[in-house]
Amino acid sequence: MQTVFIISGIFVLVLIAGFLAAKRWRGIGRGQTRIVLSGGGTGGHVNPALAIAEAIKGRDPGVRFLYIGVRNRAESVIVKRAGYSLRFIASEGFPGFRISFRLLRFLFMLSIGIAQSIVMLCLFAPKWVIATGGYVSAPVIAAAIILKKLRIASVQIFLHEQNSIPGQLNALMGRWVDKVLLTFPQTLSFFPKNGAVVGYPIRHSIVAIPPDKARENLQFKIPPDRKVVFAFGGSQGARSINRAVVDALPFLLPHRDRLFLIHGMGLASMSEYDAGSDTEARIEKTLSPADRKLLDGFYYRQDYFHNIAEVYSVSTLVACRSGAGSLNEISRIGKPALLIPKANLPGDHQVMNARAMKSAGAAELLYEDTIMEEGQILEKLDGRMLAEKIIALIDNPERLKSMSESSRHFLKRRASERILNELYGETRFNGSDSNNSTPFKDLTSNSGLLQMLGAACAHMGREFDPLSVVGDPDDLDYYRHRAAGLLSHKGWEDRNLGVKLIGLTRYTEKIPTLLEMLTDRTPVNRARKLFGGDYQQVGFIRRNIVQALRVLDYFDPDVERGLFAALNDRYFEVRVQACITAAHFGRSIEADPKWLDALMERMADPCFEVVIEAAKAVGEVGVDQRAAGALLAIKEAHHWQVRNAALHGLKRMIDRRAIEASPDLLAEMSAFILTSTDFKPHFAIKETFTALQDRCAGSRADQNQESRLPAGKAAGKLK
Amino acid sequence: MIYEICNFLYPLSDIFSFCRLVNYISFRAIMSALTAVLFIFLFSRRFILFVHRNCFLDQVRETGVHSAFDKRGTPTMGGVLIIGAVLVSMALWGNWQNAFLLCSLAGMLWFGLLGLWDDLSKVRMKSGDKGLSERLKLILQGLFSLIFAWICVGPFAPLGSAMATKICIPFYKYPLVDIGPYLYGLFIFLFVIFISNAVNITDGLDGLAITPSIFVVAVLGIFAYVEGNRIYSSYLYYPFLRGAGELTIFGAAFVGAGLGFLWYNAYPAQIFMGDTGSLAIGGTMAVICVLLKQELLFPLLGGLFVAEAITSQVQDKIGVKWIGRRIFYRAPLHHNLQHKGIAETKVVIRLWIVAGLLALLSLATLKLR
Repeated sequence: MQTVFIISGIFVLVLIAGFLAAKRWRGIGRGQTRIVLSGGGTGGHVNPALAIAEAIKGRDPGVRFLYIGVRNRAESVIVKRAGYSLRFIASEGFPGFRISFRLLRFLFMLSIGIAQSIVMLCLFAPKWVIATGGYVSAPVIAAAIILKKLRIASVQIFLHEQNSIPGQLNALMGRWVDKVLLTFPQTLSFFPKNGAVVGYPIRHSIVAIPPDKARENLQFKIPPDRKVVFAFGGSQGARSINRAVVDALPFLLPHRDRLFLIHGMGLASMSEYDAGSDTEARIEKTLSPADRKLLDGFYYRQDYFHNIAEVYSVSTLVACRSGAGSLNEISRIGKPALLIPKANLPGDHQVMNARAMKSAGAAELLYEDTIMEEGQILEKLDGRMLAEKIIALIDNPERLKSMSESSRHFLKRRASERILNELYGETRFNGSDSNNSTPFKDLTSNSGLLQMLGAACAHMGREFDPLSVVGDPDDLDYYRHRAAGLLSHKGWEDRNLGVKLIGLTRYTEKIPTLLEMLTDRTPVNRARKLFGGDYQQVGFIRRNIVQALRVLDYFDPDVERGLFAALNDRYFEVRVQACITAAHFGRSIEADPKWLDALMERMADPCFEVVIEAAKAVGEVGVDQRAAGALLAIKEAHHWQVRNAALHGLKRMIDRRAIEASPDLLAEMSAFILTSTDFKPHFAIKETFTALQDRCAGSRADQNQESRLPAGKAAGKLK
Repeated sequence: MIYEICNFLYPLSDIFSFCRLVNYISFRAIMSALTAVLFIFLFSRRFILFVHRNCFLDQVRETGVHSAFDKRGTPTMGGVLIIGAVLVSMALWGNWQNAFLLCSLAGMLWFGLLGLWDDLSKVRMKSGDKGLSERLKLILQGLFSLIFAWICVGPFAPLGSAMATKICIPFYKYPLVDIGPYLYGLFIFLFVIFISNAVNITDGLDGLAITPSIFVVAVLGIFAYVEGNRIYSSYLYYPFLRGAGELTIFGAAFVGAGLGFLWYNAYPAQIFMGDTGSLAIGGTMAVICVLLKQELLFPLLGGLFVAEAITSQVQDKIGVKWIGRRIFYRAPLHHNLQHKGIAETKVVIRLWIVAGLLALLSLATLKLR
């Protein structure tokens, strides 16, 4: 009885508190406008929030702001400097739905964050909550949604999404907020009900400057009649872009009379990567002193451009990362872009942004590799590819022109005004321009891709072409690079997946890496060894590498060496696959005594599967009596499949005219034991049914054609 | 029911003196086996038709072995028949107050229903690989094992508190060793889960699971007869378990049902037992083993099931998921044999022979020690 009283007492208290809070909220709402801003983690989320705040201030100077963020993140510096009052809550990045300790910690932090936010919101009683994403804003939005659903808060919730693919938390909460403000039109498909395309708000908008004037203002001189390429990797710089630019220099030098390269290296000066000195050193390494002299008047580098609008304005082509901010700037100035999305980001949102710009016809894409270098996982972009792409674009002025035209219309202009329009519920921009949303073709996950390509490969055999399955060459390129990225993962399952995908996407450039992995002899730890593990590149990986070599259908002396190593691998499935692959390349290695010896050695393998495939391979490779003799010698093998394989091999040799079919040979082959422990059952009723099934399925396909055929012909066909 | 009626009738008059027959375990065992077979013969054709019409058919499964023809479309859930036959037979011939019998029936029903759920969800998902999640299955099996383990070592032990926490070691003259309630309870818990899954894994080829189960249950029935008989048990130095003889009747009903089922399940099968059957059989065998204190005999008696389970788990959990290679060519055992080029029928018969030899060897432990 007591507990009932206590519980109902608490309930009544909460009810009263809620009622009072709601009343206070409404009271405050009538007076001064109060706004809660949230979002952060990185500058990319904070700056749009501040831009929105500035826009609101410009229209309505009396507004009070409260910024809610997380301690020790970008917002704690930037927001303080901008002079807004700042409060901190607890929050953490979403680790994914898999049950783990991190998920528990996340849920704990999230509930604390929500509780803190509820208190802050109740005390501050804002009219609007404007969030710009990042995990920081998740508890704030959740709290606002809860208060709103409980009818305590008379608050409107807005969410700004900078990227083309919304983050997991934004995608989840977006359906309960009042309006989702979007940067990319493609994102509308995620929020069909409450989405509005507004563009990307920035604090001090950059404007295009006439090129002549911009040239005068620059600290360096650009010779006349040069096409200018501006390559940079964001304010901090990107290692892979910086290095690729330097690597591209030798290939660009021959074009120095019509090209000028501006290189923004970035401000990064950490111990692991110092943009300035690293670039300097790489130039000395890559270029001879004579070449280095030629760089003057062709190549200019600087760590950071404070007058970036001028640099943009003089450029013919901009090569950079595809963060939402950069794309917005490029679109504002209206320049064609060569985008190099940063690899290995959560959700690959830079890839998505880049694809959005490409599908708008404003950009071309280059993907970077993920490689292991001295035990470090690095992104790497091929300098030669960069140079080739730049030259190809520069040589195509029409393409550049249409690209810059598309670029100008790619993202919405006047984003801040559009946002104010949405906030104040005005209709100024309505109807003035349509939200031309062209939804993306979604990218496939690695496992989905594996299934799709694997099925196609099994179906089409040697005619298999990944491009016809994937459709878009750039997408295929992306998949290839993503697969290559898997090769440097720590878990062997990922590397295994990567190996399979490299084969199925026909990523021939990675064959050396595959061969290196195939012969890598780094041992596994003791626990795994105890249960039969051998090397870091586990059995499945080695097996799939050999299989991938077959799918790649590429043969050279290096591959040959790799296959020889695989023939003597410790794991039986690798040997099996090596034999099958040898048979696949039978034409190339025919009559090579080295191969015949190796395969005949495999015919004495303790594992019967290897013997089977070795016998078949000998049938493809052997050219003389020696091979035939080896096949005839296993006539009394225990497993019938081995004997069958030997006969099969002999058949192939006869078909290939390597040996002659003769009565003598028949006499020798009659000594084979022909009993078998297996048979194929024959189920008459199932076969009849299958035949009927095919007929019915066929007639459905026919019907479409028959409607076009004359009646007599159709009737004849029905027989 | 007949047991109750006869026991009620025969003291009344001399006319009903033949009713005393029901007090002979041997008589009831034979009758219950015959009843179970009869039940299956009477109902299976109708049941198969029913299953077929409702499309409770076997779904495609990824086994890694190229089957000679695909078995898709064979009616499944034959376990319902087996369970039904045993239930009817025990309803007629069983002594309903016997705790041994009730425990075994409860085990059979629980695991049977769990399997039925699994089968139905496989049919609904149209895939042999997507039934209940492995985790949910384990939780439900674990729940039963937990309750059962608690019953066995707790205050309601059917064996009496003196015997409750003792374990019987085969090939050893004074076989009973007391290992304490916690250790023994944990052992029972794991044992029941392991055995029920082992049969589930074995059930991969036509007739492969049912015949070895018949051998196992028949041998266990003989053990039950011995242990439930004061004279034989003291002669063979076995613990005397009052009322264990009832399990002989249960075992006989089970053997009868199994034989009846094999009639239709023999290659090429007209019906599969499905998870309904395999989990129910596994659960029953595990429960009987525990009740008769023959847990440690099981690795020998049901060696086939144990080998199937171990090969499958070692291949999957250690090989494929952890060290990244195959340890056997294929797993479980019967797929490995098929992969080596032995036809399904031959594999099945060879494994029957192995199971029969193991059963004989286990029977020898009655006297061999």
